[in-house]
Amino acid sequence: MMKMNKECKKTIRIMEVCGTHTQAISKSGIRYLLPNHVKLLSGPGCPVCVTNESYIDAAIGLLSHDHVILVTFGDMLKVRGTSSSLSEKKMKDNVITIYSPEDAITLARKWPQKIVVFLAVGFETTAPIMAATIKNAYENGPENLFFLTALKRMEPILRFILEDERNKIDGLICPGHVASVLGADAFQFVTKEYQVPAVVCGFEAEDLKAGIYNLLDQIEGERPVSFLNLYQRCVRNTGNRLAKECMDEVFQKEDGYWRGIGKVSNSALGLREKYQRLDVKNKFDLSEEIISNPSACQCREIILGLKAPYECKQFGVRCTPETPLGPCMISSEGSCSAHYKYGRVIF
Amino acid sequence: MTNKIELHHGDGGVKTSELIQKVFLKCYGNDREVPLSDSFVFTTKSSKLAFTTDSFVVQPLFFRGGDIGKLAVCGTLNDLVTAGAKPLYLSASFIIEEGFDIDILCRIAQSMGGICKENGVRIVTGDTKVVEKGSADGLFINTAGIGVVSGHYSPCEIEAGDEIIITGTIAEHGTAILLDRYDLSVETNMISDCYALNYLITDLKAELPYIKLMKDPTRGGVATALNEIVAHVGNNVELIENRIPITTQVKAINNILGIDPLYLACEGRMILVVKKGFGNRTLQALKQICGNHDAQMIGHFTKDCQKLVYLQTDIGGKRVLPSLEGQTVPRIC
Repeated sequence: MMKMNKECKKTIRIMEVCGTHTQAISKSGIRYLLPNHVKLLSGPGCPVCVTNESYIDAAIGLLSHDHVILVTFGDMLKVRGTSSSLSEKKMKDNVITIYSPEDAITLARKWPQKIVVFLAVGFETTAPIMAATIKNAYENGPENLFFLTALKRMEPILRFILEDERNKIDGLICPGHVASVLGADAFQFVTKEYQVPAVVCGFEAEDLKAGIYNLLDQIEGERPVSFLNLYQRCVRNTGNRLAKECMDEVFQKEDGYWRGIGKVSNSALGLREKYQRLDVKNKFDLSEEIISNPSACQCREIILGLKAPYECKQFGVRCTPETPLGPCMISSEGSCSAHYKYGRVIF
Repeated sequence: MTNKIELHHGDGGVKTSELIQKVFLKCYGNDREVPLSDSFVFTTKSSKLAFTTDSFVVQPLFFRGGDIGKLAVCGTLNDLVTAGAKPLYLSASFIIEEGFDIDILCRIAQSMGGICKENGVRIVTGDTKVVEKGSADGLFINTAGIGVVSGHYSPCEIEAGDEIIITGTIAEHGTAILLDRYDLSVETNMISDCYALNYLITDLKAELPYIKLMKDPTRGGVATALNEIVAHVGNNVELIENRIPITTQVKAINNILGIDPLYLACEGRMILVVKKGFGNRTLQALKQICGNHDAQMIGHFTKDCQKLVYLQTDIGGKRVLPSLEGQTVPRIC
């Protein structure tokens, strides 16, 4: 860390795009160790935070059917649609929090007379296990299990950020979990096409220190700009072949809608034709009314790395974890939420 | 802001505090400020007594390392201990849902009787109410307790430099409940730390004069308990992350669940604030006399007065530990 503290006037902006990195950075207190000119920014790495309002509205709409049970990961409960959240609308047993997609199958078998709908949200980290669950349900049942998907892809949103003419990102900490599935090579384009230093790193404090140290070396010209995989204990260059194959079999690329950002081409994973009968939208003839960027706060700028959370006027004033205005404050892995919890006070 | 009770209002964090201030204290018309401690201490002609009450709504009723009955007795005993009191008598009131299995009720009552016997206290009064099926989730228990405050314990003003001890490993009760409630298929032998802490009054007698405050970190965990303390004291607390005792199992399970163990309940641990310079002595006594081998001095009060609790992390960084905002796990005790 001594090296990091040397005098330098130019502001250096390093972005991470994984919710777990956002939390790990805040929990490790690493910002306290960095000189003021090094800013750590959080990109759109929390899948819950970037889930569009229309998706939540559709999920809430399903609750109007008496025989529907929604199963979801806990973080989704607080996310607001256009007017309310699942936690506000749920009755005792119609929204159930689970910790593994496999639990959705168990619950559907337990209640054969109900329609169990799994809210499948996540990046390529969770997409393979979702794919495996969907494949399993398609081949073996239960017949009463359906899916409402909002799975996102990391590469298109990274390109969206890097191609923004206001982009000021000097270095990128690539998402370690997504890389463990897709492979480190999937992020080579950051350095090759955009000449931005990038590292894949793990989630322990020491991993983050090593990653930031390496990026600073590159940014300050002490070593050539290059792409480095510092998380080799988990991430192979080619990734996890089985996981990728399973994902490819079940999902296809389609346009995605990101809360606070809007439409990003090819940024979502939708069900392939073969698996469409498991899509709850077909079962109930649902359609999502896409909503673009209605946020009262500056989450768009924060997610795109143009502003830090504390530069938003609503941060900590009207927008708190209890009353989130925008996506970054919703999930515990959101950048504003992590800043609010762990970093409000400058020591 | 909604005008309805939410789960957050019962999590022991910011919302609970708001509810107490804005509804209960206001409506009770307490004309002088009563300190919001876990037990109320009052003096009679011959002795100083402590009085407390607590309700228990834990789900599931039986969990690894305990049950709602054990929790209902230990919880109230421990609240009396925070006031430096040796517990004497308890009340036990039951709200039972129609259809509840009497054999299960028996097991719970036996568990309560057993803990009382071990700790030399008696349940001397109580109440039983039964509500229609669907009006309660099985069983709720309220216990109240009264105890005699030790003459050796006289809590006094906390100052910069005062030292903070935790009597054992953290977050075990909260983690045990999570494992059992969500039936997580994790292979572990960890159990709840649910335990009566009366021994702190009897076995730690020689150290009591140097202990300025005791607080059991139940709902909201160590972080929230310390925030409640700094809110009254004013001085900041600095905790040292690598001194906080936590088992690798609890750490790993919480990592999987994405929960910060500093916010998970203990039901058999106490935070002791000890006069500056006396922390090591008290710690040794805890380890040698009470057999609390995992007890640790985890931090101290600083001279800064921003009412903050912060953590010096393993890598030398710093982060604030705010009060619990937003429910971690409902119905944990």
